[in-house]
Amino acid sequence: MGRPYGLLRAGFPFFKTVGMRRHTNFPVDVALGKENRLYILCRNGDASMVRKYTVDEDNLGEIGGVATWGVAIITDNEENLYISDEAKHCIASFNADGESLGTWGEHGDGDGQLNAPAGIAFDAEENIYVADALNHRVQKFTKDGTFISKWGSHGDGEGEFDMPWGITVDELGDVYVVDWRNDRVQKFNSEGEFIFAFGKSGCEDGELNRPTDVAVDEHGDIYVADCGNDRVQLFNSESRYVEKFLGDATLSETAIDYMMTNAGPNRMRDMANLEPQKLFRRPISVTINGDGLLFVADNCSYRVQVYKKHAIPLTEQEFGPPRRSPTLHQE
Amino acid sequence: MSNADVALTAHLMRRAGFGTTLTELEEYVKKGYENVVEDLVDIERCPPIDEDVVDRYFGASEGGYRTTWMYRMLNSPRPLEEKMALFWHHVFATGVGKNQHILASSMQIDMLRGVGLSNMREILLALSKDPAMIFWLDNNENRKGEPNENYGRELLELFSMGVGNYSEDDIKDCSRAFTGWTFTQPPPLYPQGYYPAHFAFIEEEHDNGEKTFLGNTGNLNGDDIIDIIVKQPACAEFISRHLYNFFVADEPQVPSWSVTPPQDPDAIDTLSNAFLDSDGDIRHILRTLFNSDFFKEARFKKVKSPTELVTGILKLVGTYQKPELGMAKYPGATTLMGQELLNPPTVEGWHTGREWIDGGTLTERINFSVGELSDASKPGIGQIISRLKSNGSALSPDEFVDRCLELVGPLDVGETTRESLSRFAASQGDLNIGADDAAEENNARVVRMLQLIVSSREYQFA
Repeated sequence: MGRPYGLLRAGFPFFKTVGMRRHTNFPVDVALGKENRLYILCRNGDASMVRKYTVDEDNLGEIGGVATWGVAIITDNEENLYISDEAKHCIASFNADGESLGTWGEHGDGDGQLNAPAGIAFDAEENIYVADALNHRVQKFTKDGTFISKWGSHGDGEGEFDMPWGITVDELGDVYVVDWRNDRVQKFNSEGEFIFAFGKSGCEDGELNRPTDVAVDEHGDIYVADCGNDRVQLFNSESRYVEKFLGDATLSETAIDYMMTNAGPNRMRDMANLEPQKLFRRPISVTINGDGLLFVADNCSYRVQVYKKHAIPLTEQEFGPPRRSPTLHQE
Repeated sequence: MSNADVALTAHLMRRAGFGTTLTELEEYVKKGYENVVEDLVDIERCPPIDEDVVDRYFGASEGGYRTTWMYRMLNSPRPLEEKMALFWHHVFATGVGKNQHILASSMQIDMLRGVGLSNMREILLALSKDPAMIFWLDNNENRKGEPNENYGRELLELFSMGVGNYSEDDIKDCSRAFTGWTFTQPPPLYPQGYYPAHFAFIEEEHDNGEKTFLGNTGNLNGDDIIDIIVKQPACAEFISRHLYNFFVADEPQVPSWSVTPPQDPDAIDTLSNAFLDSDGDIRHILRTLFNSDFFKEARFKKVKSPTELVTGILKLVGTYQKPELGMAKYPGATTLMGQELLNPPTVEGWHTGREWIDGGTLTERINFSVGELSDASKPGIGQIISRLKSNGSALSPDEFVDRCLELVGPLDVGETTRESLSRFAASQGDLNIGADDAAEENNARVVRMLQLIVSSREYQFA
């Protein structure tokens, strides 16, 4: 199925909250499994673990000790987990039960070596792209760690990076890289040829402040975790700003269960202002599934906020011709 | 560059900062002492630390604040900013053990970093509005008609003037002036973690009646009390003595100050005058202090606090100059030596000077220092070895001791220590440092010599 000619954006309401303190401490990334399973990578100090939930918040347990400074988690077609560790300069893999499948990567700046790997993403052939942060480049590997190619160097020109972080591959094979310290996102084809970049430093709509992650959905919409501005921004496939998400969290089911047995916190919560409790605090990653569920790792609030996209694809007949200029005339 | 310049600059950086790497020390010496003092005091002359990088690697973690702070101490281009945050943390001791709210405690340190080099009025005002302090000394329960005098008392006794400079009635009316100074209720820790509390003034809980404080009468609010305090010579003397104790030489513990005169009254006078002449401008007072003869002559007159010892050792070995795994263990090291950052034992703060040292803490200090100096591949040790090589192919035992003492400090040692070091050096004859075929053995000898130096009595002094 190709991308739609246009979209009727009916809405993007808040859907639910997943997790709470102690279950999902400092979540940094979310990976998707089959049957609505979620793998939430959590990093607290020098230890990282994976909390396994379903979208309905059935607790499927945890996998401890998956990394020291875990940054990103992705799943392959067999639902094995791949996790980047920026302290140990490696990619670790596990099956869904937490059994280790091995680790690859070594510290360095040669081909195939890594220096603080951050974002990771599979392409359709299950090759892995790695945002090799302190080498300021992207490297492509087979999923067992064999080096394939690389591009990028330190700088702020096209195809250059300053400590890249998040990375994703869309269904067409194009690669999107969050160029963290340049406050922008760059798009490349699968060979690393530059296509476009968007974003500049700031806090206005479409501007970015140390963005950390990027995701692309089946419509080509681009989601950017604008972490330093405590928001997620949505851009269309041509990088035009569409809207932003600031956080609308409710209490998760797990949190409600907890609060129902703790009188003191209930009173404190009642005395406090509820408004800030809805908002993102350091939204660090974005993940979107095929049902239009957008998962945002709300890092400093120990939870994942989930939104649900409601958009209807439009054909050429249903979507007026492109306009170069705005108009006041209602057709 | 003369040895005297190197020694003086190293002294300055041990006190106004957290020590230096060899490379940093050489750069500071090249700038000249007075210029370095200006760089330290006038912090805008140097860029701030890369906050985004600190946040990226240490940003979110419940135990991480102390780690982050120690990383800042090691790497901030503005070391005095961090040293003053530590100074005020000593003076305005607030313990996370009571509030159990690490965010509030860490935000207090951020506040101290932000105002620490401003002026006394601004500092006391920010302190009085700080939620961690308000909770620590119960000012959130200080209301019109039912005053809680805890904060009012300590503000005068421990934070600004010291015992003997006010009456019980002054305490009562000072406390009344701070009624209604409280903070907003933050959401609870569960289920979404720590949220900040913010200062709040509750008009209906504030006592608007007439008060008399240190001879001033009127409807005084907390701001008015602070205005009066900072004009008192007693405040100038008290803060000057704290600065002297922290930056120059160990004084007796604070509770005895009302009965034990300062060891150098002229120095306290100089600093007090700088305070009064500048309306409590901390930069002006520190500039006066660092450029004074009494400071320059006060080398090794202070026992290093655990934080100074740990950061000084890390500077010496040159590690953690960028975010790396392992930094998180160092706050635990200072705790074992008697200083848990963010958690001083009482409102009096840590007892300093010789009270840092007992059998247990000394063992921790030495074990820590020796452990950190056990690896010749660490960059700072590599630099020392390389400097030793630059002296020529062979060093006599005495030259070996002298050069190592120079490169570690320069450190002055007494006769007993000197004899021990010389005995060790002589036990294996000349050090043929340039001999490539004995590099491993020679490196091990250097490491052992450095370990002996940092285990010495003299190394415990800054």
